[in-house]
Amino acid sequence: MLQAINLTKKFGELVAVDDLSFTVEKGQIFGIAGPNGAGKSTVYNLITGFFPFEGKLLFNGEDISGKKPHRIAQMGIARTFQVPHTFPSLTVEQALSVGSRFGDNTGFDPEYVDHLLDFLDFQEERYNLTGNLDLIGKKKLMIGAALATRPKLLMLDEPMAGSNAHEIQDLMEFIRRINDEMGVTIIIIEHFMKVLTELTETLLIIESGSKIASGDPDIVTSNKHVVECYLGDAYASDN
Amino acid sequence: MGALMAIIYGGLALMPIFVGGTDHLMHILIMILIWGVVASCWDLIMGFAGIFSFGQVAFFVIGAYASAIVANKFGIPPIFAIFVAGGITAAIGVLVGLPCLRLKGAYVALVTFAVHMILEPFLKGPMGRAIGTGGSRGILTIQPIEIFGFAFTPDHKVAVFYLTLVLAILCSIIILMVIRSFWGTAFLALKDSEDFSASLGVSAFKYKLAVFALTSFLTGMVGGFYGHYVGMLSTRMLGIDLFVTLMIMLVIGGIGHFPGAILGAIVTVTLNEMLSPLGSYRPLILGGLVVVLVLFLPDGVIGLVRRFFNGKSKIQEADA
Repeated sequence: MLQAINLTKKFGELVAVDDLSFTVEKGQIFGIAGPNGAGKSTVYNLITGFFPFEGKLLFNGEDISGKKPHRIAQMGIARTFQVPHTFPSLTVEQALSVGSRFGDNTGFDPEYVDHLLDFLDFQEERYNLTGNLDLIGKKKLMIGAALATRPKLLMLDEPMAGSNAHEIQDLMEFIRRINDEMGVTIIIIEHFMKVLTELTETLLIIESGSKIASGDPDIVTSNKHVVECYLGDAYASDN
Repeated sequence: MGALMAIIYGGLALMPIFVGGTDHLMHILIMILIWGVVASCWDLIMGFAGIFSFGQVAFFVIGAYASAIVANKFGIPPIFAIFVAGGITAAIGVLVGLPCLRLKGAYVALVTFAVHMILEPFLKGPMGRAIGTGGSRGILTIQPIEIFGFAFTPDHKVAVFYLTLVLAILCSIIILMVIRSFWGTAFLALKDSEDFSASLGVSAFKYKLAVFALTSFLTGMVGGFYGHYVGMLSTRMLGIDLFVTLMIMLVIGGIGHFPGAILGAIVTVTLNEMLSPLGSYRPLILGGLVVVLVLFLPDGVIGLVRRFFNGKSKIQEADA
């Protein structure tokens, strides 16, 4: 579905993403992990057209390098942001409608927006301003608006950050449902290794912008190099 | 929104019954209608789309000069010339908007205000004279708008008032429809978060240029209308007075609370006239009033009106 070939992004002297290649298969949940500043979010910004870069990105065989963010959204790649973004001036329903109206190639579909409000358990919040939602609500809204574009690929950037154990369980269940019921391929950046090993089929570990391991999450997380540079001794002794 | 607008314009439409005989008051009413549209356009681009464009007065003056020149030089009837002027102003608006796409916040204000600053020397200079601005003398004779042989000159204030009212209502309906349509939603979304909007498929390029084009078209057209009404033009309007007065209208009306800007125009123009006996103390009092309003009525007069009619809980809903 998504093929990254020799992605490289330099900010001046700093090489944020260094010759990175990976492939995301249709239908899977693909995890990306790595220490802070490893370039995970930068990879998202490259895929969604926010920064120019060297290398090549193929989405269903089509080259998407150099396309503008809104064009990429319309092609079927949706994303969320690490810091929750909402539209404080818009209601929950209007915010979802923005995704449906502008991001969905088949056009605005109020019934689908209504369906999403059910799916997100947001019917009661429907006419509330998004700025008044709590943190979990804002994250769900971001995911909901992204889903309103009818994406083929959804990229989540640390959806669990700032959540307690109970909320993490809920969010994991929610992400599984998006994958199963809607058939959306998912890439997820996450720090909680347990979330990644339980949720993902393929895990990519990056450090300083380059790949240090990828493959089956159980095998990757037992990789000695990964444990050393990222997971730390505590995790090693856990297993 | 629509009901309040109908009440405002309905109320204004009745005014000539009471003051139709007093030319001075009719002129004030006409100017209220004109500034109401200009302030509403400013509100659309700044309050809704979140673009800090400070070129509103410049667009008004460009429209006024363009219409007068087009009518004087090419003999186009003024009623059509104002639309041509709107088109010319929109084209200039888009040109100004292009560099603003790459800028944020205060930098947009700087670029757009630069247009305002450049305009006066341009109109007074040799380039301006070459296209017929009359240099520092200005344009002294501009023919009035004529419809079916009737000339809307300053001598027929009531007639001019109703023609202005029709134009103002048309402009306001256009603004209202844009705000209520998905365009308005796109403007608000872009104002709140450009990145989030882009990730959902909203083209900042398209909608930001569109708002520049639309607001400068309407402002330019109304500017043209103003020129044909008063019959002469100079660069005096580009002074800081009008700019500040318009800004006061927006603040008093409530930024981002259409049709607050129209109410703001009514209140500001009226106050300005009432305070005129105070001479040089007038700006001082207006300035103090703005400070008080910003502190105690951040949503402007419209916030007060809505609180009065709906109760506080519904204010946010009405805005959405």
